[in-house]
Amino acid sequence: MFREAKNMVERSDIRVVRCGGSKINFRPPIISNDSRFVLCVSGDSVKVYSTRTEEWLHSLQGHTKQVTGIAFNPANHLQVYSCSADGTVKLWDFIDGILIKTFIIGSPLFALYVSKEHEGVIFLHLSKGTHHKNECFQLVSTHLPKSADQEVEAKELSVVSSHISPNPSCTAFGRGGEYIAFARKLQLDVYFFRKQKTYSFYLKATDKKGAKNAFTCIACNPTDDCIATGHEDGKIRLWRNFNHKKEYTYSTLHWHHNAVNTLCFTPEGTNLLSGGIESVLVQWQCGAGSKKDVLPRLGGSILHVSASPDGQLFCVSHSDNKITVIEDGFKVSGLIQGLVTGDTVLTDLMIDPRSKALVLNGKPGHLQFYSLLRDKHLYNLDIVQQEYIYEAGLDQFEVVKAVFDVKGSWLATVEERGRESSDLEFFLKLWAFDETTQSFVLNTSISAAHTDRIISMCFSSSEETTMLVTTAEDSQFKAWCQGADADTQQDQNFWSCDFVGSYHNLKPTNCTFSADSSLLAVSFQEVVTVWSPDTWELLTTLCQPPGQIRDLCFGRLSCSKYLLGTTTKNLLCCWNLLTCALEWSTSLEVSKLQADPLSENVAAFSYQSKHTDLFVFKPSEPLPLFTHEKVCSEKVHRAIFVPREELLNGCDERCQWLNGSQLYFLTQNMDLMTFSMATEEDRMLSSSKRLVIDDSIAVTPFYLLLGKHRQQQQKLNTPSHPAADKPQQKQSSVSIKQLLHTPAHVLPAASVLCSMFVNSLLISNTGVREEMESSEQEMDSEKEEEDSEGEMETRDSQQDLRAQGSVDEVTPKLSKAQERELKRVRKTDFSWMTGLIVSKP
Amino acid sequence: MAADGGRAVLPCAFSPKSQQFLALCAQDGRLRIWNTESKALQQEYVPSAHLSAACTCVTWGPCRAVQDVPQRKRRKCESGAAVEQTDLLALGTAAGSVLIYSTVKGDLHCTLDGEHSGPVNSVQWHPEDSVLYSGSDDTHIAEWDLQKGKVICKWKADRSAISSLCISPDGKLLLSAGMIIKMWNLETKEVYRKFTGHSTMVTTLCFATTRPPDSNGMYFLSGAAHDRLLSVWQVRSDGKDKNSVVSFTLTDEPQHIDLQTSSHKEEAMRLAVVCKDGQLHLFEHFLNGICKKPLSPVCSLQVSTMKGDSPVPVPLLAAALCADRQNLKLAYGHHLQPVMEKTPFNTSERHACLVRDVLSTLSLSVDMAVSKVKTPVVNQKSKVLMPGLTGHKAPIKLTPNEAEKRKKETSTTELSIEERLEQIELSGGRKGAAKGSSSLQTDSFAVLLVQGLESKDEKILNKIFQTKKEILIKNTVSRLPPPAILPLLEELSRRLQGHPFAALLIVQWFKAVLTQHASYLSSLPDLVSQLGLIYHMIESRVKLYHQLSRLHGKLFLLMSQVATSSSAQKTDVDRTAKLVYEEESSDEDEGSGDEGRPEDDSDNWEEDETAMELTEDKMNHKEEDEEDMKDESKANGDSDLDPENESEEE
Repeated sequence: MFREAKNMVERSDIRVVRCGGSKINFRPPIISNDSRFVLCVSGDSVKVYSTRTEEWLHSLQGHTKQVTGIAFNPANHLQVYSCSADGTVKLWDFIDGILIKTFIIGSPLFALYVSKEHEGVIFLHLSKGTHHKNECFQLVSTHLPKSADQEVEAKELSVVSSHISPNPSCTAFGRGGEYIAFARKLQLDVYFFRKQKTYSFYLKATDKKGAKNAFTCIACNPTDDCIATGHEDGKIRLWRNFNHKKEYTYSTLHWHHNAVNTLCFTPEGTNLLSGGIESVLVQWQCGAGSKKDVLPRLGGSILHVSASPDGQLFCVSHSDNKITVIEDGFKVSGLIQGLVTGDTVLTDLMIDPRSKALVLNGKPGHLQFYSLLRDKHLYNLDIVQQEYIYEAGLDQFEVVKAVFDVKGSWLATVEERGRESSDLEFFLKLWAFDETTQSFVLNTSISAAHTDRIISMCFSSSEETTMLVTTAEDSQFKAWCQGADADTQQDQNFWSCDFVGSYHNLKPTNCTFSADSSLLAVSFQEVVTVWSPDTWELLTTLCQPPGQIRDLCFGRLSCSKYLLGTTTKNLLCCWNLLTCALEWSTSLEVSKLQADPLSENVAAFSYQSKHTDLFVFKPSEPLPLFTHEKVCSEKVHRAIFVPREELLNGCDERCQWLNGSQLYFLTQNMDLMTFSMATEEDRMLSSSKRLVIDDSIAVTPFYLLLGKHRQQQQKLNTPSHPAADKPQQKQSSVSIKQLLHTPAHVLPAASVLCSMFVNSLLISNTGVREEMESSEQEMDSEKEEEDSEGEMETRDSQQDLRAQGSVDEVTPKLSKAQERELKRVRKTDFSWMTGLIVSKP
Repeated sequence: MAADGGRAVLPCAFSPKSQQFLALCAQDGRLRIWNTESKALQQEYVPSAHLSAACTCVTWGPCRAVQDVPQRKRRKCESGAAVEQTDLLALGTAAGSVLIYSTVKGDLHCTLDGEHSGPVNSVQWHPEDSVLYSGSDDTHIAEWDLQKGKVICKWKADRSAISSLCISPDGKLLLSAGMIIKMWNLETKEVYRKFTGHSTMVTTLCFATTRPPDSNGMYFLSGAAHDRLLSVWQVRSDGKDKNSVVSFTLTDEPQHIDLQTSSHKEEAMRLAVVCKDGQLHLFEHFLNGICKKPLSPVCSLQVSTMKGDSPVPVPLLAAALCADRQNLKLAYGHHLQPVMEKTPFNTSERHACLVRDVLSTLSLSVDMAVSKVKTPVVNQKSKVLMPGLTGHKAPIKLTPNEAEKRKKETSTTELSIEERLEQIELSGGRKGAAKGSSSLQTDSFAVLLVQGLESKDEKILNKIFQTKKEILIKNTVSRLPPPAILPLLEELSRRLQGHPFAALLIVQWFKAVLTQHASYLSSLPDLVSQLGLIYHMIESRVKLYHQLSRLHGKLFLLMSQVATSSSAQKTDVDRTAKLVYEEESSDEDEGSGDEGRPEDDSDNWEEDETAMELTEDKMNHKEEDEEDMKDESKANGDSDLDPENESEEE
């Protein structure tokens, strides 16, 4: 029925957008030269964060596939290269978020390396033919063609090594770019660019004690000929003397007891940072043996470590989608936290009725609260309250289920451990929201609430009485009520079991309350049982074989007489509860059924022929309101309707289902997606214009020096204009301003600027004699000269003149004498200065 | 600070639209930005001259869209949705400069100075253009071009200091006030209207409608220092707008106001005013011409905390109305560390008081700043339900008929005096018979027990239940009158849940009752509900028994290994001495090791048993237990040899 209807619905202006949660720990973050920004790869964009406030500034968008590597342009620290699986390398100005250039390489790229000594050359990881079963990666270098075009093809690749590890942290540049070291399994190769020779070193797979020697990461000391390699068994080897094939030596550092994930030398080469699964950052002092500092309990195993160019900041990215900013002195100063998705999302997606935040299980043992509106992690709520030990193979408590009641005053959580083993242990905890302390307070903790795992639970939706129903694999469902207990003489109300129900000893799968909580539906494999929670009478059973019930939900508002269910045998059924008969059913493989709490609408995600379609329908109507084909290519198991803060006034009939609430869903790649209307975006964009504000911070020491200088000069020159001096001091000189405020990468060569700069510093001498000699002719010729020097400059000066004109009571005019002096200075030869500058680099 | 116009109020502002942030300048001159969602400190900024030039006013700039969705080409699956971000904050200082601070970068964006000679009292952003207005004590208003960071225009606006500014929502008009409120046309910089009426410095100005001025529908609001009234003025096209049209009564001078305009006719304008005395007043009003009587608040709100036993008021700092028109965002407590809360309000209650535990909330937010982990409160008050306790399983309920029957029964148990006398005689007779038949020593506590159960005297009951003699228990139970049996069962089941040691004794009693009075119990109609609890308890403990015995087995293995390894160490010393020359001696060693072992093992076993008794609370199966243990000990003793041998071989 639905599939046929699909063709009828035309394209509407609703599109699927990613709204956050993408991984920020895929590749090492990089820190800008001034330590103010940290850049990290996030899906098909590069995100720029502030290290000080941990806020997301903007993202560099343009790639069409996963970005796989970023590196600063060694020639200009305000630019960044990024490479992507779409086969392009892009050059960005990351402060303003402008795409400068695109280099098209062709084949998918997997990592990117640059070195200061190899200007205009980038090194890339390529996949060498996918037809092989085990993919082979090669390291190639390419000269980036110098061309003014936006898009440049760079297809001249020269292979450095054709057999490298797919792990990008197994490749590193050595001191001064003289050599490049790369490791693969048990082999370490060092390639010297000068000699064009590769030295290889081998380790045995295991030694006598059974140590696993495979390489996991590599780092080169920037100031010394020393290569550090990390190994699977947690050892770090420091290699020296590797330019001789035979006489190489290495020393071993050992602290980690699991594989070393990352190694990083500080820019001065004095310290080595290492991290692994243990979530402990270790700082080794080079040359001091095994002297070390440790920074434990960072939360989440460490994937990458990077240091800022000045060595003041370290950024550590963790497996729980987080970047920790560590300042000098080895102290955590900030956290950039994305949506924690871990390996699996165990709980459903929920909305906290109080804060309207998205809630799901986050870091182990915690529930995370995530602001959807701002795509920002708010906090983790510690449910288990036990220290989580990051180590492979430990069985620890995890939050597996959680549910809020309607008002948000109760939270029920289930934590369990021993999923795989037979010794299952789990707790059902009920938390009350305490208004006075504004936090959740544990009310009742129930150990072994069922004899087997809890499968699902739900709170009743009525406002008066709260009731929790849990279903478990012990083929029982239990209703928990908050009742005054006779035994405890306290006024606090605790939860206790009110009813235990079962049906023919079948395993229950789902439970759900109707909107007014007068009915409870519990599905037992193929059978849906409907109970009255007041008397605990079994009212009716509904059955539509074959196939077990996968999802259940009641209709809302005008459709409250309907009960919807999906089965594992691709059937979507709608029962009428008044007649206790099947109203309609359709063959549809539904992976997730989600009802909108504010309207009658129900969303069904259907997975068929390798992509997921969305159907939005009302239970009372036979045709869907809205269909969206190919929402994503994976199965969707988690989705939620989120009530909007402000209701939208729907325009299009097709979009009306999005007026009251917004639909979010989680793909298997753990991307949080939503449906967004074009009208809504336009509204938002029109309402919030981008403010363009001159971001000159006046109080730099440099400014104080130059600005004051100009100010004095102005006072000397124009004592008759007291009002004029104040605005004048701010603009100081055109050339100084140009020098200081234009981004370095668009500035002309220093030799061109030099004369202007020196000009502006000179104190002009006001002499009467020279003033007399001034002639108009000279002025004109001077102006032409200025024009020829560069468009930029003149435009700037004109603007300034205009700006000055707009300020009332200001008469900015250089005295004749000043102008003459300037001209004179300009004509003098400053070639000695340019000589100095040229010789410098 | 009090010197400049009596402005003791510290600047404080919620970010526009969604009130995500609260910017607050505290007494120490620092600007703190709090996140109202995670309720934690977002960032702290110390202006370079924070001690000499304190911050006098704070205003948030308009929101910006983080992501510019390209208009030309929209792919089907765009990488991101547009997100609104509040970023810029304008600060006026006592030195006459204006600082623009970026909350995203956490850094100063630019400074605008050199125009004002007195403290800046008010800063206002233009709603559309990047233009900023500042009003100062030096009687001037400056218009700043933010793109260039320069002043566009500066004019003298009043004879006295400019204390407040406000821009109309369309950005065409500007209100300025010292004592007199002036409305300026921003294009021509001419006075459009003047409004007089306040006798003190006007501290608050706010537009109440979005309509243009020539339609008679434009209203604005003003509040002044030391004035307990907020006035509403109408801008009329005919110019007859000399007096305020409406006034709102307050309890003190207004400190922070937030206004929600009505979007359509049925919706009232909403106003939340925080007064200097720390109270919040909510007003709802339809703006429609003159209203002579001063309006009183629809709802007043106060926050208090418990200090000891007595409530102490907590001053509110700021309040904002949420866009959903049902909630309020509140900030209260101290300026250095405010507590933020989103709370629903209902206008049906005229006075509301929120009791909050400010101290504990504070401690929560402090820890969170870096770790971003909130720890919910877990204290002793929470209840732990274990299998076997009441409430873990559903109480077995009676069908209505049975319940009635039971009631009748209880009524019949109220005996007449005659019957009681008979009973006393009976029991007395029994006692006498007992005395007569046996020696002087009593062999039953029946009477004492009945008395104890009736009076619920813990002392008596404790004494009785401590007897260990099986015969005594048997006798006592058999002589109990039937009405006393049910209370006894209840008491026993209560005690069973207690300490394991007590349970050990109680089980004997329990057994005796069940065997002696089975016939009576089976005649009870509501037997199921009476014994349900005990049944559940037994059932759950039986279920646990399997796991416990497994644990016991493992522990026993461990303990025996520990014991053997310690004994093996001793032998090791011998072995080193002998192994050097004689190969056969190793056999002897092993033999000696074995000889030593059985003793150790038995010691060890006894320890283990006592440990078991401590941990196990399953005393109703004590007997079975012991049997099992014996079996197990045998089995373990046999199997133990193998691991031990292995270890020795190593």
